Amino acid sequence: MRNRFVILIVALVALLIFSLVIVAQNRGGRGGQAAAPAPDNRPFNAKDLAGIWSRNSNGYGGGGTCRDCGDRGFGNNVPPFTPLGQKMFDANKPSYGRALGTDDAKAHPEEHIGRRRAVPPANGTDLYQSCNPQGVSRALIYPDPVEFIVLPDRIVQNFEWTYSWRTIWTDGRPLPKEIDLARWWGYSTGHWEGDTLVVDSIGHDDRTWVDHFGYPHSDQMHLQERYHRTSYDTLELNMWIEDPLVYRGRWNADVKKFKLLAKDAIKTPEGWTGILEDLCAPVEDVDQFNRRIRDPAGGVLHK
Amino acid sequence: MTIAVRNRTLAVIAATLGIFALVVPMFAHHGTNISYDRSKMWTSKAVVTEFRYVNPHPQLFFDVTDEKGNVTNWGAELLPNPAQLIKNGWSKKRSMEALMPGTVITVTIAPSKAGGVVGLLIKAVNDKGEELVPGGGGGPAPTTP
Repeated sequence: MRNRFVILIVALVALLIFSLVIVAQNRGGRGGQAAAPAPDNRPFNAKDLAGIWSRNSNGYGGGGTCRDCGDRGFGNNVPPFTPLGQKMFDANKPSYGRALGTDDAKAHPEEHIGRRRAVPPANGTDLYQSCNPQGVSRALIYPDPVEFIVLPDRIVQNFEWTYSWRTIWTDGRPLPKEIDLARWWGYSTGHWEGDTLVVDSIGHDDRTWVDHFGYPHSDQMHLQERYHRTSYDTLELNMWIEDPLVYRGRWNADVKKFKLLAKDAIKTPEGWTGILEDLCAPVEDVDQFNRRIRDPAGGVLHK
Repeated sequence: MTIAVRNRTLAVIAATLGIFALVVPMFAHHGTNISYDRSKMWTSKAVVTEFRYVNPHPQLFFDVTDEKGNVTNWGAELLPNPAQLIKNGWSKKRSMEALMPGTVITVTIAPSKAGGVVGLLIKAVNDKGEELVPGGGGGPAPTTP
């Protein structure tokens, strides 16, 4: 009798774990889910954001997020598109989310269609797949580490995946009134409102996507990020975008969280610590991987 | 059904669910999964012809010989990228040494949905039974190529 009870408990626990994993995936998370760590009660300075933060709590690449860090999407409450926005959305063919036209995609009408239209990378239009920059919002959502380097007049964010560098100016300068040339990483300024770092950015190149699901933006997009350090090891990020050319109204992101990694949390086999040079190099990605594996896997053959 | 048999059945169900819960969370770094068909996985002996330890996904090329002696060269991508392999203890040196050209291994592959000779490496095992460059997601291999 006792054995049967123990076995039943084991079965239920296994089922519970399995269910949690499935629920997490159905929310659009495309990463391995690590268990939520215990709260860190060490004292901290809410205005000190320096360090390596990660939505992937194991600190390495691969796209896993910690359980409560949020998924790879900006948010599921997408505002209605303008006619131009709809046209741009339709032109983007992402490779993340539920596969286009499948029973799986049809079974989740509660998810915005942007999360249910994935095609193989070889048949998609994701410039990121050929090593082009992700852009700010997508890089922030990508679940790999980002190092905040805090200087007297700026904060630099160095994203591990793609090893890309984004500058937030905190020297009091205003955003440009007009943008002559949009940038892959936009133009960003930051200031403190109490314990919240508010970052405004404009002038984002319209070839980047808002997130992995192919949501478009124009070069008129205004992105605001609000960072709030809520504990020693937790950084909360709230974001919104306004882009009147593409969306009829403000799009508020789901809350994203980052966990602080110890300086030596990421370590190479020879013991070298710090974020990895995990970049996308065309000579490897485009010339080799895409031609020999990715494209044939999507039915696109090269001579 | 006796109590012992019932207990054993329940234990097997529990273990299976537990293992499934552990293997499901493996996901790609680069939109990879959507290109491959995990319902048609196969397992075969193979001879390594090339291994590339690079982003966005390492790639393994190998020969498979069918029962008529015909040799086909396949290419497969790994789900883990080098960063994940490092975390799993598979440095470049260790991985390259384990998968030198000519090495005989057993591979489990999820083939491309589009057909052809490319796939996703689910598992690679050497002749000592050691799993190499792990992190591919595991799972059964119901058919052969």
